[in-house]
Amino acid sequence: MEIMSHDIIIIGAGMAGLRAAIAAAQFSKEVDVAVISKVYPVRSHSVCAQGGTGAVLKDGDSFDLHAWDTVKGSDFLADQDVVELFVRRAPQEIVALDHWGCPWSRTEDGKINQRRFGGHSFPRACFAADMTGFHEMHVLDGKAKTFDNVKFYDEWFVVSLLVNETAVAGLTAIDMKSGEMYALRAKAVVMATGGHERIYEFTTFSHTATGDGMTIAYRAGVPLKDMEFVQFHPTGLVPPGVLITEGARGEGGYLLNSKGERFMKRYAPERMELAPRDIIARAEMTEILEGRGLEGPYGHYLALDIRHLGEEKINERLPLIRDVAIKLGGIDPVKEPIPIRPAAHYSMGGINASIKAETSISGLYAVGECACMSLHGANRLGTNSTADCLVFGAIGGQEAAKHALSESLRELPKEQILTSEKRVFDTILGSEGDERVAAIRDEMRTIMNDNVWIFRTGDGLKSALKGIRELRERFGKVTVEDKSKQFNTGLIGALQLDFTLDLAEVTITSALARTESRGAHFRKDYSKRDDENWTKHTLAYCTKEGPKLEYAPVTITKWPPTARTY
Amino acid sequence: MTSKVEKVVEFKIHRFSPENKKRYVSTHSVPIRKGMTLLDALMYIKDNSDETLAFRSSCRMGVCGSCGILVDKEPMLACYTQVLQLNSDSLVIEPLPNMKIIKDLVIDIQPFMDTYNRIKPILIKSEEALKEPNAFVQVTADLKKYWDLSLCIKCSICYSACPAAIDEKFLGPSTYATNYRFITDSRDEGTEERLKAMADNLWLCTSCNSCTMFCPKEVDSSTSIVDERSLIVETGGIPRTVRDVLTSVTRYHNPMGMHPSKRMEWAKDLEVKAFPTIKDADILCFMGCTAAFDPRSQTIAKSMISVFNRLGVNFATLGTEEWCCGDHILRLGEKGLFEMLAEHNLSTFEKFNTQRILTLSPHCYNTFKHDPPYSEKNLNVQHYTQFLAEAIETGRLKPSKTINNRLTYHDPCFLGKRNEIYDSPRQILKAIDGLELVEMKRTRESSFCCGGGAGRTWTEEAVPEKRPSVHRVKEALELNVDMIATACPFCVTTLEDAVKVLDVEEKIEIKDVLELLDEAT
Repeated sequence: MEIMSHDIIIIGAGMAGLRAAIAAAQFSKEVDVAVISKVYPVRSHSVCAQGGTGAVLKDGDSFDLHAWDTVKGSDFLADQDVVELFVRRAPQEIVALDHWGCPWSRTEDGKINQRRFGGHSFPRACFAADMTGFHEMHVLDGKAKTFDNVKFYDEWFVVSLLVNETAVAGLTAIDMKSGEMYALRAKAVVMATGGHERIYEFTTFSHTATGDGMTIAYRAGVPLKDMEFVQFHPTGLVPPGVLITEGARGEGGYLLNSKGERFMKRYAPERMELAPRDIIARAEMTEILEGRGLEGPYGHYLALDIRHLGEEKINERLPLIRDVAIKLGGIDPVKEPIPIRPAAHYSMGGINASIKAETSISGLYAVGECACMSLHGANRLGTNSTADCLVFGAIGGQEAAKHALSESLRELPKEQILTSEKRVFDTILGSEGDERVAAIRDEMRTIMNDNVWIFRTGDGLKSALKGIRELRERFGKVTVEDKSKQFNTGLIGALQLDFTLDLAEVTITSALARTESRGAHFRKDYSKRDDENWTKHTLAYCTKEGPKLEYAPVTITKWPPTARTY
Repeated sequence: MTSKVEKVVEFKIHRFSPENKKRYVSTHSVPIRKGMTLLDALMYIKDNSDETLAFRSSCRMGVCGSCGILVDKEPMLACYTQVLQLNSDSLVIEPLPNMKIIKDLVIDIQPFMDTYNRIKPILIKSEEALKEPNAFVQVTADLKKYWDLSLCIKCSICYSACPAAIDEKFLGPSTYATNYRFITDSRDEGTEERLKAMADNLWLCTSCNSCTMFCPKEVDSSTSIVDERSLIVETGGIPRTVRDVLTSVTRYHNPMGMHPSKRMEWAKDLEVKAFPTIKDADILCFMGCTAAFDPRSQTIAKSMISVFNRLGVNFATLGTEEWCCGDHILRLGEKGLFEMLAEHNLSTFEKFNTQRILTLSPHCYNTFKHDPPYSEKNLNVQHYTQFLAEAIETGRLKPSKTINNRLTYHDPCFLGKRNEIYDSPRQILKAIDGLELVEMKRTRESSFCCGGGAGRTWTEEAVPEKRPSVHRVKEALELNVDMIATACPFCVTTLEDAVKVLDVEEKIEIKDVLELLDEAT
């Protein structure tokens, strides 16, 4: 097998990965950086981010206020040292993107405009109409490509990490175009592979965002933290589930039930449609369960009404969602309310990482949605994820560069390479069972939708866990029909399913153990927050018997837990 | 809950297996529900009918650019197109053209992506400016100048439809649009560097407009390229071939370097009425510079006169007072010169008391219709194919002779893509007995440019295999036709050159529709 070497390999070329690449390359011209991604960088799911990136830029706002909003939004599960660092670093990321060319929407005097967003007590979402992530990504992609010391491996699928004792040695990956597997050596590896919400049926996620890196790190021995906390975005378009930005409500949009009521008055009388997402998602489900949902060919839904904003404002501030609603929902938001319901959207949990993006494996870093520094706790505020990718992408890239400059390449563990090769080409590609990838994948998504959704119960979670474990069994008998090498999307689909089954199991196991309700994790059988017993992070370790759970304390600097009302 | 099946649509997918290099077509029936996109249908096929089918997809909301495919020859994003809206029971799905196929619908987009490395797709600023701790100031009016161009998702649809992209020297439509997006960004300080990256390659664009027409994000790359040319023209850094054309038009009011007094020589044996002897007529025939000066095109002009005489049309030309319409000049970026030509022609139209104009060339037609100051005058203008198709339809003109030929029709971009005149020329051909009209793979909206637009007829420097015309003639040869008919003097010229280059003069000839009609009446 051919072996390539780099100082740093970044896995994933979305917002966090590209930002890490730029930071590492800028840190020193001596550092040889590679970015490896299963899609071309601008195809990454980050381009789907719409509404804005949160940062303190104006008089009247403050770091403490942004931090407090974030901590309260997190239902007091965020690590407050991480939050404080984050809010201080966010503004410089906005300026950097401006300097590289991001087409930020502007105020009358030509400064960066900021809009209101859920859970934020100040308008601090910097935006580029409703295509913020898209524009940030294209700027980052352009910037990353200006460095001679950054090499891109586009459409390479990472299969496993190679770990030499307690330090990273490299990884194995398939060049999708040729179908060949390679080993790549590196002194540092940065995981930036995104979230895992493709385990659900109704999701805002891109088809390709399957959380691979989380499982890869988990199997290499790094715990996954707080995986029970899955964010359900209040406004997924019906029927496809794609995102309709919270910016629609930030600009003044209403949520209406079948009676035409702004039902949020019953759940968050002050903040109304701009309460945090966990609260609105629960409110929507309650409206539907109590019979006040609207009904259509694709089930119950609620209405997002932006008609009163007028065509001009919609075209200026929300052009993408108008187009998406027309093209995919068949309605024009200028004339009709948009049919929406909650959709799986974001993973607050992820690869356990320190404030410097380090993991328990020396030389392995994790940034962006796949990582969990505990910035978002039990519920993330809108606009904090793109900011997270930028801030911690930069930190992770820099830390990886420092590490790479002081370390040397480790010997590659040959048996791990062989295991990886065997798993892909013999176990999965060579299997001749009668199970199909699509069937198992769809059943997993149904199980997650039915039992691990917004309202959870112990019984539901137990049955889900049983279901997922059965699917894992069946996966052993899966057949990939396509036996060819080049661009074998059947094989890639099987590998992704393999990864997501682990993540579904960890999510359910963590959720079953947490016998309280906090942020996005709501247990009908334990409907109160339990600060005494549960102000702690879940850590799930990979064992042969399944995930083993441990717990870690929450860092509280300034803001002890209080009641959370909006 | 799922909605009901509205209908079953047959998908015929063009496949390619890289293992044995085999091409084949697979057919699948897909039950279509309301809201299903082409991508949903492809996923249905992969999940239920053929797991080996390869295609790319990611965001499924039209922003990641992964899923461009050809649907019944038209390029589009699979995720952003509803199957029901295509109103068809059977669809042919192919990979995007112009790029190598890796497998099935997956094409090799690396060459396309690489073109972005030849420009700088971020702001160019001085080190000093980048030390500024705050964001740069940019008012909304300045943001709006480039916003539309910033919406490109790099899906490569424009590149797949672009005739100039055959030559890898060309950057690709969206890459020029991106470069122009930064040129027009008030924060950018790199115009000079950006122009330099394009100075020797953007002249390959033929202004066929395919990029703009098919862009799923409505990015107007075609106009960006013209605007970029204008900036290069202003700096004077233009290639010699382009300069020659511009100089000739400035001096002689035609791109061929011919003395203006010779403009009517082609008609010296014919009785063609011309201004200023004639002060008005029912119809003003705007002949165009090629018809006036290029020997091959003159035969088309003569056919026009002969058909019009037989039809008893009361027409006249502007004689030596006709100046170049300026279409090619405008698209080469010389806006000032274009305006001068337009002003002259418009004032002559007025002196002539023009009520109705017919053009021989689609280029004159297009510029009269769409480019100010012409377009502001709402000229009553038709291309000859429209006029003659009407005459045939109303029975005033009846082709009486049989011409036994198997032929195909090449859509001129400035007639077809830019003005949606696809049917008139075909109606004329169908009215002629003996002609067997067959269509090329790429036809009508998906037609492939001959390579003669935007001045490229005169500035062509590409080696033969990189000329669009050569590809086009090869495409026609696949049909075993003995003739390509078209309705544009530039298409005739470039396609005839390609026939010579390919050394197939014995096999195939190029004719204008007018010549065939003249022969048949």
